[in-house]
Amino acid sequence: MKQSRPELPREFVAGHKRRRMMNAIADLTAEQGYEATKIADIVRQAGVARKTLYDNFDGKEDLFLAAMDYSVREVKEAVEDACRETDGVWQQRVEAGLAAFLQFVEDRPGVARMCMIEALSATRASSARYDAALRDFVEMLRQGTPGGDHLPETIEETLIGGVAWVVNQQIRRGVDGDELAALLPELSEFVLSPYHGVAEIGSGPESESDSTVADFNA
Amino acid sequence: MERLPRGRHGLSPEFVARNQRERLIAGLIEVLYEEGYQNTTVSLIGQRAAVSKSDFYKHFESKDDCFYAAYEVAVDRIRAEVAAACGRHATSQWPPRVRDGITSLLTTLSTEPALACISLVEGLRAGRGMYDRYQAAVESFVVLLREGAPSPGGEEVPAATDEAVVGGIASMLGRRVLEGEAEQLDELLPDVLEFALTPYLGTAEARRIISAG
Repeated sequence: MKQSRPELPREFVAGHKRRRMMNAIADLTAEQGYEATKIADIVRQAGVARKTLYDNFDGKEDLFLAAMDYSVREVKEAVEDACRETDGVWQQRVEAGLAAFLQFVEDRPGVARMCMIEALSATRASSARYDAALRDFVEMLRQGTPGGDHLPETIEETLIGGVAWVVNQQIRRGVDGDELAALLPELSEFVLSPYHGVAEIGSGPESESDSTVADFNA
Repeated sequence: MERLPRGRHGLSPEFVARNQRERLIAGLIEVLYEEGYQNTTVSLIGQRAAVSKSDFYKHFESKDDCFYAAYEVAVDRIRAEVAAACGRHATSQWPPRVRDGITSLLTTLSTEPALACISLVEGLRAGRGMYDRYQAAVESFVVLLREGAPSPGGEEVPAATDEAVVGGIASMLGRRVLEGEAEQLDELLPDVLEFALTPYLGTAEARRIISAG
C-alpha cells in the first residue's frame, strides 16, 4: 500500500509514550526521590495525558517497576553483549563487561540512580528487584570465570556487591566520566585478583615465594 | 532491657528519661528484626520497651527519628567491638588486626542478629534520610581496614579497592540476613577473611594467615 505520508504505526506511538513515561519517572526520582515524585509531575514531564498513564500502568509503583525492569534488562544486555563480542581470554571478557557497565552508568546517570539507589528504598517490590538484578550479575560473573572449587563460595556475591557499592558512591557524588573511566582498571584488578591468586597457587610451589608481602606477618 | 520499678523509686528524672530512651531504641531494634520496617509501629516499639506512646514522643519526633538514633547505636556497638579486636595488635600487625576485627564482626552479628538486620539490611532500604548514615557507617569501617594496610609491591592499593572490600562484605552479609541466615553469619569467616586479605596480600598469603588461625 502506497502512502505519500506514512503514519507512524500505532504500536510505535504507544511504545514511544510508554518509554517517555518510563524516562520521566527515572529522571524525576533521580532528582527528588520516589516518595516526592507525583503522577502530575510524571505526566507533565512525559507530555502525556493522565489517562494515558493509567491506560498503561496501574499507578506510580507499576510504572516505576516497569521502568526499572526495562533498564535492568538494557544494562544486562549491554554487559552480556560486551562480554560476548570480546575475543580473547576470560579476563578480557570480564573487563569488557565491567567497561560496558560503567559506560551505561555514564550515559544514563538518572537511570542508574533509579536502579541502584532509589529502588532500594522506593517500595518492597523494587528493593526485591534490585536484589534479583544483583543475583543475575553474580551468576554472570560465576559463569564467566574459571571458579572451580578452590575459591570461597561467596566470592562472586562479595565482588559484585563491592563493585555495586563503588559505583553507587560515584552516582551519589554525581557521575563524572573521567572518574568512572579511572575506576575501570582498579575495579578490574579487584574483580580478577581472587581468580588469578588461585590460579597462581595452582601453578606450582615456587609461586608461593612470589608473595611480596611475607614480611607483614613478622 | 529491664524496666524500672513502678511507684516511688528515688531515681532521678534524668536517669529515668535516659533509661526510657535506651529501652525504646532497644525495642525498635528488636521489633524491626521481627516485623520488618513497614510493620514496625510506634505502638509496637512502645509495648516492647514498656514505655507509653506519649512518652515515646517525648524522646522522638517520629518512628524514623527513633530509627535513625537506633541505627547509630547499632553501628556504634558493632564498630566498638571490631575496633577493640583490631586494637589488640599494633598498627604494624595488619593481618592479625584484620583477622581479629572480622572475626569479631561476624561473631557480634551472628549472636545479635537484630543488630545485623538494622545495620546491613534496613539501613540501606529505609530511604534517603538513612542512606547517608549507611554510607558514613561503611566509610568508618574503611578507615579501620585501611589503618596499617600493606602496599603490595610498594604500590598503594587504590582507594576504590578499600571501598569495594568493605562495601562488598556489607552487601554479601546483608543478602544472607535477608535470606534469614543472620545467625549463621559466623560460618562465613573463612570466606570473608580471604576476600578481605587477598587484594592486599595475595591469595597464598591470605590463606596461610587464615589457616594459621
